[in-house]
Amino acid sequence: MAEAIKSAPPQVHRRSFGDLLTRDLRALPIVIGLVALWVFFATQSDVFLTARNLSNLLVQSTVVGIMALGIMFVLLVKEIDLSIAAINGVTSVLMAKLIVEAGLSPWFAVPIAILLGALIGSLSARWVTFVGVPSFVVTLGLGLALNGLQLILLPATARYSLNGTGLEKIALINIGGIWSWVVLAIGILSFAGLVFSEAASRNKAGLETPMMRAVVLPIAAATLFGVIVVSILSAHKGIPLIVLIFGILLGLGGYILKQTQFGLYLYAVGNNDEAARRAGVKVHRIKMAAFAIAGGVAALAGVIAASRTLGVGVFSGGGVGGGTLLLESIAAAVIGGVSLFGGRGSIHAALLGALVIGTVSNGLNLMGVENEIRLIVTGLLLVLAVSIDKLIEKATGQQSF
Amino acid sequence: MTDMSAGRERHVHTSGTVPLISMRNIHKKFGSLHALKGASIDVHAGEVVALVGDNGAGKSTMVKVMAGVHMATSGDYEFEGKPVKITSPTDANELGIQTVYQDLALCSNLDAVQNLFLGRELTGSSFFGRRIQRAECEVRAREVLQRMRLGNLSLTRPVGAMSGGQRQNIAIARSILWTPKVVILDEPTAALSHSAAEQVGNLIRTLADQGLGIVVVSHDIHNFVVNATDRIEVMRLGANAASFRTGDVTGEQVVNAMVGGNEGVNLAG
Repeated sequence: MAEAIKSAPPQVHRRSFGDLLTRDLRALPIVIGLVALWVFFATQSDVFLTARNLSNLLVQSTVVGIMALGIMFVLLVKEIDLSIAAINGVTSVLMAKLIVEAGLSPWFAVPIAILLGALIGSLSARWVTFVGVPSFVVTLGLGLALNGLQLILLPATARYSLNGTGLEKIALINIGGIWSWVVLAIGILSFAGLVFSEAASRNKAGLETPMMRAVVLPIAAATLFGVIVVSILSAHKGIPLIVLIFGILLGLGGYILKQTQFGLYLYAVGNNDEAARRAGVKVHRIKMAAFAIAGGVAALAGVIAASRTLGVGVFSGGGVGGGTLLLESIAAAVIGGVSLFGGRGSIHAALLGALVIGTVSNGLNLMGVENEIRLIVTGLLLVLAVSIDKLIEKATGQQSF
Repeated sequence: MTDMSAGRERHVHTSGTVPLISMRNIHKKFGSLHALKGASIDVHAGEVVALVGDNGAGKSTMVKVMAGVHMATSGDYEFEGKPVKITSPTDANELGIQTVYQDLALCSNLDAVQNLFLGRELTGSSFFGRRIQRAECEVRAREVLQRMRLGNLSLTRPVGAMSGGQRQNIAIARSILWTPKVVILDEPTAALSHSAAEQVGNLIRTLADQGLGIVVVSHDIHNFVVNATDRIEVMRLGANAASFRTGDVTGEQVVNAMVGGNEGVNLAG
């Protein structure tokens, strides 16, 4: 049998550009769009491309980015969670209440908030899978209910200040100087370790590994990207802790989606849950985990938002109804290439989508354009991004996955 | 029983051994509906048995009983000569009976390797979820595809980007990944082009030559059944209506037996 395998004809599939566009280079149009936006804003404002502004842009994009990363897991299994913004709000208000009124240390209050977010998410998943009510309805209703709870939890002043509680430090800490490079080195080494272990196991199994394409190129690209980002951030104050948190979540999420059984099952369930069920995948549990991740991650985003605004209030979680926070989080994931119909999307979607939305907001702000225009532009960009995706599918005749 | 001995004579490679599957006098009732009324079937190693019949003849129910989806109301089910009680598809899988359903149950966004191993991935270290051992999966997938003479199938393209025939082949490959003894195929050539159906026929023959017993439920009498199988079991109204050796009959005769005409040579009589 071993000889038979070795004599197998090598699998040479000449890949057309369209083929690449629908698969490995799916992110290309959105990257081009992002660069175009940056070029445009750079011509409109001298400040836009400064290290300080780019650093701010990244910081401003983290809350939406983290939320998008979380909801991505739910979108992958072909469900939706409209309560993530409300979870973000209610858990951060509860956390603030625990810190301010009960005197609990943020070291305890923050994990409580995150666990509670995950619990709320898993409960809505249970409702969806066992009662059979569509997730759209369950989470829409739950979101409103949580909004109400958030208002009840708030004191008469409608605000808890978190200044001086230690929680504000999350948004203030920057990892500067040599440490920012140490952080980058750790990141690149972990990534390289994964890539190498993959290549090593392929070699051991006797499979061909294209050294250039599978090992050198990804590591070189990641290093280049990391060096550019850290250089820019170091030129200002260093790596903001919240950007690092976002980065770690992206790395972790990418690993889970690409390498683990659970990640694979998310895609399988989102594409064909009946096939997954027959193959022995516990579909209900996968969906529950996806909702729990979205809820927990939304709560973490709420903690970060509370730290940035030095407090919580009615406005936390985007205000009643989720406001722009909910819409921008879902829009970011979709702009980044996550399908609302399940089974499609990669982790970079959260980063790219959040950067597009953050860029529009930041750039228009520098140009002195009002908030109304920002909403219009973001909305149109969302439609444009999905349209480009559809047009590529039509032009290449290939459905992208 | 005469038909059975005739079958054995023809399939020399089964050399008179006990059949892999022997179902005798199977009855199945769904409430007041009597779907199977004493139907029987034998499946030997190395042969391709076609199970044909008009809509409602009971062939689907028969293979579902065989695959453990339904339990027979009464009747005998022997596997390799021993009486067995199969109460679930898992029981059937454990005995070595795999089923390829008509809808194939593939995930179109996953590639061939991911589909082949779905639900049974080889996994290694646990760090934020069990890590899939992709390389090992790929080697085993290639091995199986090689055995099925499908070595040139792409392992990394999403199966949604493949042709219907290729998808059918992947679904069959998945069923034989864990070296079963019997594979049941439900309408494998429905929605396939003539040439793709022919390829599926060749594939089934390759598997039978490797000693598997194959059961095919098919409506495609004229192109597929009379060309790609060894024996044809015709069912009508929940019971066996006729049994043919494939080389001995035309499609017309099979169809006649299905609809109750009397031109068919009724060996099961």
